[in-house]
Amino acid sequence: MFVTEWNSSALVKAATKAGKKKNALTPMTFSLLHATDFADRQLYSIIPPLKAGMIVLADRYAYTAFARDVARGVDRQWVRDLYSFAVQPNLAVYFRVPIDVSLDRLLARRVKLKFYEAGLDMGWSSQPSESFRIFQSKVLDEYDRLVPEFGLSVVDATGSITEQQREFRALVSEKLAVERVES
Amino acid sequence: MSTQPPDGTEHGAHGGVTPGTYYGHGLPYLSVDRYPGKIIAIEGTDGVGRSTQIHLLREWLEVRGYGVVETGWTRSPLMQPTIELAKSSNTLNKLTFTLLYACDFADRLEKEIIPALKAGFIVLADRYIYTAIARAGVRGTDSQWIRRLYGFAIAPHLVFYLKIEADALARRVLEGGGIAYWEAGMDMKAGDDIYDSFKSYQRALLKEYAAMADEFGFRVLDGRKSIKAIQEELRRQIGEFLEGAEDVVRT
Repeated sequence: MFVTEWNSSALVKAATKAGKKKNALTPMTFSLLHATDFADRQLYSIIPPLKAGMIVLADRYAYTAFARDVARGVDRQWVRDLYSFAVQPNLAVYFRVPIDVSLDRLLARRVKLKFYEAGLDMGWSSQPSESFRIFQSKVLDEYDRLVPEFGLSVVDATGSITEQQREFRALVSEKLAVERVES
Repeated sequence: MSTQPPDGTEHGAHGGVTPGTYYGHGLPYLSVDRYPGKIIAIEGTDGVGRSTQIHLLREWLEVRGYGVVETGWTRSPLMQPTIELAKSSNTLNKLTFTLLYACDFADRLEKEIIPALKAGFIVLADRYIYTAIARAGVRGTDSQWIRRLYGFAIAPHLVFYLKIEADALARRVLEGGGIAYWEAGMDMKAGDDIYDSFKSYQRALLKEYAAMADEFGFRVLDGRKSIKAIQEELRRQIGEFLEGAEDVVRT
């Protein structure tokens, strides 16, 4: 098993960090930097373990870009075309929560919402929690489109972690059983 | 070709696009229609003399009262350190290479090019997206994918391509201080000999540029001519174009 996380490649870390610090990223450079990060991780962390027959657990995938970048105003078809180099996952699970739950959880674990996380770069509101609400509801709308378009499996993430994990494991086990039969 | 108004129809990712509008899907959050500025791009392979020509053009245009902004490949403040670092190490593949370039271009497009167009300036671009398309093409990247990727770019008003053959180019680059690793396409691992690698890599690049000439409406100039002769030809064609472009800012 191999785990890979969104926005974790060393290649673009400096640029992303500098861009975020100076609030200098535009929706397009934000999108392209994340695509570069993904491409780098696909090269080093996704394809090799797949070739070795391992399971790759990806914490976020291209769908995050499809949702966030489009919420920021990047063209929907363009970002899909951009990621056409991405390996299609065997199973994609979307943990869905309503906007209020997501906001409560974020505020509970941290003092301050980050600038880009809250969508403050878009200038919709100067108030972080209000900006987050506007941005995140656009993101959630995009995810709702992605579910049928890419056949994402949805887990209700308002429930307890134990419940979510049970559902998640059931989805994974089912998938693995099918894959085993097919191979 | 510059005087047609934007027709408002959905453009493909190829040429035939009204100058000053997006090639493809563009930046939906940033409308650029009817901005008065102009983009003049100078394309051509390494060592063909682009920078010298741009320097001379800038002086000439400024003396004539035009506002001029220069933009150059990989010079964005956001991406330059990362690109330098990535080139000095050996961690890139063709895809990450292509995406870093696209990110550099996007940063310069939004921070330099579009504001200058809005203000009615002339943007002199030392290389444009065609360099990225040529380099990616040589490395086997899907040609449709890269064209769609650069669908966020704005079609320049004029693109000059300084054409030269690989033999003449090799001599010129050697006289100018020697062949660099990336100019020789050594990442493609065609062999250990830098001269041979340079020749075959540049030849492949020239083929890519030639294939784009019609598609993107290049004005082809003979890069073997003297600096002065090339500059005169550039000034003649640019002067002619600017005569019909009255919305450009002149002081």
